[in-house]
Order: sequence, then structure tokens, then C-alpha cells
Amino acid sequence: MSGHLVDLFGGSNAIAVFLITIINFILRGIGSLPLFGFLNPLADWLGTEPVVTSIAWLIAITIMITWAAALHLLTFIWLERKLVARLQDRRGPMITLRKDRYIGGTGYLQQIADALKLIQKENITPKAADPWMFHIAPAFLISTTIVVLVALPFSEGFVVANVPAGLLFILAAFSLAPLAILLAGWAQNNKYAMIGGMRAAAMMMSYEIPMILAVIAVVVLAGSLNPIEIVNQQSQLSILAPLAAIGIANWYIIPQFLGFFIFLLAMLAEQERIPFDFPEAEEEVVHGWLVEYGGMRFGMVYGFKWLRTFVAAALVALLFLGGWHGPVLPQEIWFILKIYFVFFIFIWISWSVPRIRIDQILNIGWRKLIPLGLFNIFLAVLVVHANAQGWI
Amino acid sequence: MAEQVWINMGPQHPMTHGLWNLRVKLDGDTIVDADPEMGYLHRGVEKLCEVRNYLKPIVLMDRLCYVSSLTWAHVYCKAVENLMDIEPPPRGKYLNVIACELQRMASHGMWLAAFLADLGLLTGFLYSLRERELVLDLLQLMTGQRMNQNYPRPGGVHNDLPPGFEDEVRRVFRYLRRQYKGYKKFLEDSPTFLMRTQGVGVLRKEDAINYGVTGPNLRGSGARVDLRELDPYDVYDELDFEPVVYEEGDTYARYKVRFGEFFESMRIIEQALDRLPQGPFRIKTPKRAEGEGYARTEDPRGEALIYIIGDGSDRPYRVKIRSPIFVTLSALPMMLRGHRIADVASVTGGIDVCVGEIDK
Amino acid sequence: MVDALQFVFLVIAAVEVLTAVLVVTAKKLMWAAFWLALSLVTMAGIYLLFQSEFVGIIQIFIYAGAVPVVFLFGIMLTRTRAMEDVP
Repeated sequence: MSGHLVDLFGGSNAIAVFLITIINFILRGIGSLPLFGFLNPLADWLGTEPVVTSIAWLIAITIMITWAAALHLLTFIWLERKLVARLQDRRGPMITLRKDRYIGGTGYLQQIADALKLIQKENITPKAADPWMFHIAPAFLISTTIVVLVALPFSEGFVVANVPAGLLFILAAFSLAPLAILLAGWAQNNKYAMIGGMRAAAMMMSYEIPMILAVIAVVVLAGSLNPIEIVNQQSQLSILAPLAAIGIANWYIIPQFLGFFIFLLAMLAEQERIPFDFPEAEEEVVHGWLVEYGGMRFGMVYGFKWLRTFVAAALVALLFLGGWHGPVLPQEIWFILKIYFVFFIFIWISWSVPRIRIDQILNIGWRKLIPLGLFNIFLAVLVVHANAQGWI
Repeated sequence: MAEQVWINMGPQHPMTHGLWNLRVKLDGDTIVDADPEMGYLHRGVEKLCEVRNYLKPIVLMDRLCYVSSLTWAHVYCKAVENLMDIEPPPRGKYLNVIACELQRMASHGMWLAAFLADLGLLTGFLYSLRERELVLDLLQLMTGQRMNQNYPRPGGVHNDLPPGFEDEVRRVFRYLRRQYKGYKKFLEDSPTFLMRTQGVGVLRKEDAINYGVTGPNLRGSGARVDLRELDPYDVYDELDFEPVVYEEGDTYARYKVRFGEFFESMRIIEQALDRLPQGPFRIKTPKRAEGEGYARTEDPRGEALIYIIGDGSDRPYRVKIRSPIFVTLSALPMMLRGHRIADVASVTGGIDVCVGEIDK
Repeated sequence: MVDALQFVFLVIAAVEVLTAVLVVTAKKLMWAAFWLALSLVTMAGIYLLFQSEFVGIIQIFIYAGAVPVVFLFGIMLTRTRAMEDVP
């Protein structure tokens, strides 16, 4: 088992101590002058332990958000566009900084160009909209997903807060978004947006439950709600001893294939990807709940979709694909590899099927996935019991 | 939303494929009424024809429907031939058949692309457009244009086949047959595609006939009505083909009809190329005409009819165009009632709306 | 003199009380539901502050995630003029 590269909190603490040492050095330098003596108590206060810890937290959160919401978000958008282009016999974005800007580039800068364009645009508020709610809803929406990053571990060390019930926290924050979508749909005072918002809420009602059932089965197997503990369990549980030599036999995808399937479907629905994208289905309700948003506000609500994709892929990798466990490479690399693998699956599914109708999806959710999820919990309990009794 | 609301799906809506407006009355998510509104694209083609001599409206007809221009120019030329009482030479007829069937393939390719995009399958959209490009290349080889070909003429066609055309056609068709068999499997094995199309927008045979629905939409409802077979024009009576008919009357049946017609068109073109006679491809036509002439053909979308009155001058006195989709849209509210709003895209995509010919 | 925890508690409690008042004074029902959701989230914050994490998370899960959505559904489905309500 390989170790982890990053100790996020330790690193942040070191950075905070370093910064405060420099600032204190300057402050005390100035404080030794006759008129500036009042700076010395400030320097003392900065040096105290709670302040250092708070600053370390802030740095840790900043690093995490930059890591996920800037680096991986842009990479995800770029990758999706390139992969879909390949799937559709196109080339995708190719813009580069070279002189012949459109020839043979990788197109990574396209996202930045798009964002720049969106930022320039006027922030239009429809006359009949509820102006406050119209502007609050996107912020609410994004914060629900960003707050997930607090408890989402990328390795044993790369985590902001190791919360005991972290998995529950992630899912709770994740499931706040439909409320924001509903509010956004209402605030625009547009029939399409309204229908889109209602569809999002209806879909959430039918998809949250199978998702939670799939997670419960994993929690039963792992005996913990802590994501790090769940991942560690996946390296220890030896249900299929002969297969254990390969290294993947301990992953929960083996005893929990049904749960993996349900969770993958629920996660596709959570991201509003194509088979389940009726809250924003273009051919039906134009662009659903984001129809009236323009400029960077649209960019925010649109880009948030990929942030959710990122979190969803991380959750699938965390719960079913053994998290960061793998040979040779460090933990972070393994986890990122698995996240991108799951992301490929998402793209592959979502660009090769037509959109399903909403009543059909509710039928599938309530009539098929919930019984399957319950059966899956039964299987998990059976496995745990068999393990405890030494049957396998 | 306890009350019923009218929703405008159009004129600027991703579903409409052009400028028209489908007003839909919703009760929650269910459609209780629908009301198609046309006229946003009205150019007055019929009136414009009256101030041009008999040859010039061909370019206007080309622009009637941007997806199948050639067939409209063809039906106009048939009407003028009927009015002037002339008979094109056999080679001209065969070339017209080949061009029209190629246009039908291109039109159905465009339809498949738009239909799949309506269902949310953008990959299928691009695949279908990619294959359509080959058909357009053939048309370009034959007529010189990719769209708005300006190819048929009263009394024949504008130009003869280029050398090597036949080999090119057979090569392309070999490829297309293989590709479209793959797409057929890709779509018909996909449960999501079946869920979206089967049982949606059911149009019973009686209703279809009463509303005047024609073409693939009628054949999807189980009526074996194909003007190429019932009222053969050009040389269709010499060719061996089978109208594609399905009984169900839903979007899936209409999809299967069009998919089948794609293969039938290939068969027809290959036969026509085999039997292509030598000789002139165009005869000279008189400049003036008097009397009445009409022609109806099997457009990719249904029965296209043009009725011309000549008053002895060199321009038509009156031109009347019967566009099939204009008539078919009258059946749309009935097909939509009771369905979900999500089915609007499936149904309107399934009947292959072309706004250019609706609004004339 | 209040220490840090007490300070945080006071801030959260103030937000909580404020949003709770806004729930009953809001003119539009949608806003009332929004304030209610916010009030319930701050309540979860107080639970977290008292180190009862499980209760706090369940509070977010059910009372902030699910219940307001049901409220909004109820508001939209029962009020006949929900669309024209906005000024």
C-alpha cells in the first residue's frame, strides 16, 4: 500500500506559520519604532494558536477549492468537450495561443476564453423576475456543491475536515441543490424555467431515495460513515479471498454490484446528464431552469454542473472503486485516475442514449430502483453476517 | 401550476426547426390542447410565380423546402409539362427519378438527424449528417449544387450525368447500406429510444385519412398510399419497389417507414441506373401555354401537388401549391393531446416538419 | 468577555432568529420557504457547534433538503396564481 503525498492540514499549518512569522517579523520591526508600539500586541495576538489554526483552515479551504473548482472543473469541461467531439467524429475546441490559433491546438484555453466572454456580458435581470431571489439562487446553488468539498477526501491526508459522519454530510449538502434549482426556476417568472425547476424537484424526490439506499448498503458493509474509514475498509475486507491477490477484490463493487449500478444511475440523474437531463432539456423546455440567466451568472450555473460531476465521480470512486487504493502510485494519483475513469463512463453513457421522459424516469426510480435498493441492503447484511459467521 | 397554461413552443424554440409556433396548453405536464401557428416564413411564392415566365419559378420552388429542394422543382416541372402537354424523353425521366430519390435520401437523412437531436441524442445527429454528406456529394456531382440544385426542367433535366457517376453511386451505397444497418441496430436495440418513440403520437388510419395526412406519416399509420405506386409518374411504373408500410401509427412506425424508404430509394436508384437509356435528356418547350396543368408527386414528406393555370402569355396566371406538412400539421393537436410536454419533440420530429414548404 | 465559540454561537443564533422572523413576515410564500430553509440550516449549524454532528447533518438532510422542497411543491401546486404573483 502506497502512502499519500499531501497532508493538507499540516501543509496549510506550515504555510500559515510561515506567513505569520514573516508578518510578525515586519510588525515587530515597525513596532520597535517609538510611535508604533501599539503593533506589538497585534503581533502577539497573531502568534497565538487559535489564530494560526484559523488561518491554516482558510488556506486549506482555498487550496481545496482551487484544486477542485478551478483545476479539475476546467479539465472536466475541456475533457468532456474533447471526448464528445471524438465520439461524434469532430475535433472539438482547438484554440491555442499560437499565431495560427485554430490549427492543431489542444483547446484547453477555450474554457478561459468562454469565461472571459461571459464575464464581459451584461447581467440582465428580467423585468418580471424576483430580483433578489434571481441573484441569490445561483450563489446558493454553487455553495451547496462547494460545501461538499469540505468533507470530501482525496487521500488520507488530502482532506479539509475529517468528519466522523462525513459521507452523510456530503450527501446532505449534495441534496440541497434541487431546492436552489426550484427557487431559481420560480424567481425567473418564466414558464419554461418553472417547469424545469419543478422537474428538477420531482426528479430529486425519486432519485434521492435509491441513492441513499445504495449508500446505506455500503455503510452496512463498512460499518462507518467516515469516508476515509470506508476506503480503508475496502483494502481490508476479504470476502473473496482467492481474488484478493489481484487487489480489486476488496472493492465494494464486487459484493455491491447492484448498489454500484443504482448509485451510478442516481449520480447521472443528480448531475442532470443527458438520459436524465429534462430539467434543462433543450428541445422541451428550451433550457429549463437556467433559461433567463445570462452572462457569468449563466456561466456559474452551467459550470456548477461539472463541479457536481466531479463530486459525483469522486463519490462513486470513493464508495465502490476502492477510493485511493492501488499499487505503486501515490494515493492522490490513484484517486484522480479513478475519478477520471468514472467521468469517462458518465460521458460515454450520456452521449449515446436519447433523453428519457420524466414520467418514465419517475416510474423507474420508484418502481424498480427502490425495490432493488432494498434488496441490495439485504445482500449487504447477508454478506456482513456471513463474514461474521465465518461462512466465507 | 394547478391552472392550465398556454406555452409557446416557438417561434424561437430549439424544437421547431424553423420559424413556426406551436402553442401548447398544459395541465401540469400533460398536453390538453395544441395550436400550431404558421406564417412566420411566408414569402408569397405562389404570387411570385405569377410575374415570372415558366422557367424562372424553378429557383423559387427550390427554395420552398430547404431540405428537399429538388423534388419541389421536379413537381413544378411536371405541372408545366402537363400544362404544355409535352412529354420529356426517357433519359430525362430516368435522370429525374435518380435525382429525386437521391434528394429523398438526403431529406430522410436530415430528418433522422433532426429527429435524434429532438430526442436528445446529439451523437446521432452528427452521425446522420455525416452520412447525408455523401448523398449530397452525389447530388453535387449530378447537378452541381449541394442544395437548391435548380436541376429539373420542363421537358427533362438541366444536364446529363457526369462520367463515372454510376460507379460512385454504387460505391457510396455499399458504404451507406453498411452504416445505416449499424444505425438501425444502434437505435432499435436501445430501450431508451423505444421508450421515447413507441406508443407516442398515435395517428389512427381513419384519422390520418380524414385529416389529409400523406406520405410517410400516412404509411406509418397502415395505409398503403404511395403516389409512386398508385399514380406512377416518370418511370416509376417500370421500376420494382415496395412502399414501406407499418401499422402502428406511432412515432416509431413513422421512423421505421422513413428508415425503410432510405433503403428503398437506394434500390430504385440502382435499378434506374441499370436501365438508364441513351438519347437526349431534354426537349425544347414552348414559351407560352394556355389551359390548366397539375402534377402530384411523392415528396419525401407526402403528397406534393402543384396546379397551374396558363392564360396564353409567357407566365403562369395562377400557381397553387399543396404542401404536405401544412396539411399534416392540422392533425398535430390530435396527436399531441394527452401526451407529455416531452413528447412534443418526439411527435413533431417524427412527422418531419419543414417550415419552408408550410409557409410557402 | 465572550470567547470564540460563544461569539460564533451568537452570530448563528442572531441569523437564526432573524430568518425565523422573516419566515412569518415575508410577503411571498416562496420567500418564506427560502427563509425557513435558511433558518433550518442555521439550526444545523448550532447542532454542529454543540458537537452533535449526526443530528446536525440529519437536520440539513431532512429539514433543509427535503422539507422545503415539499413546501415549495405544495405552494406551487395549490396556489392558483403562483406565476403572476411576482411584482
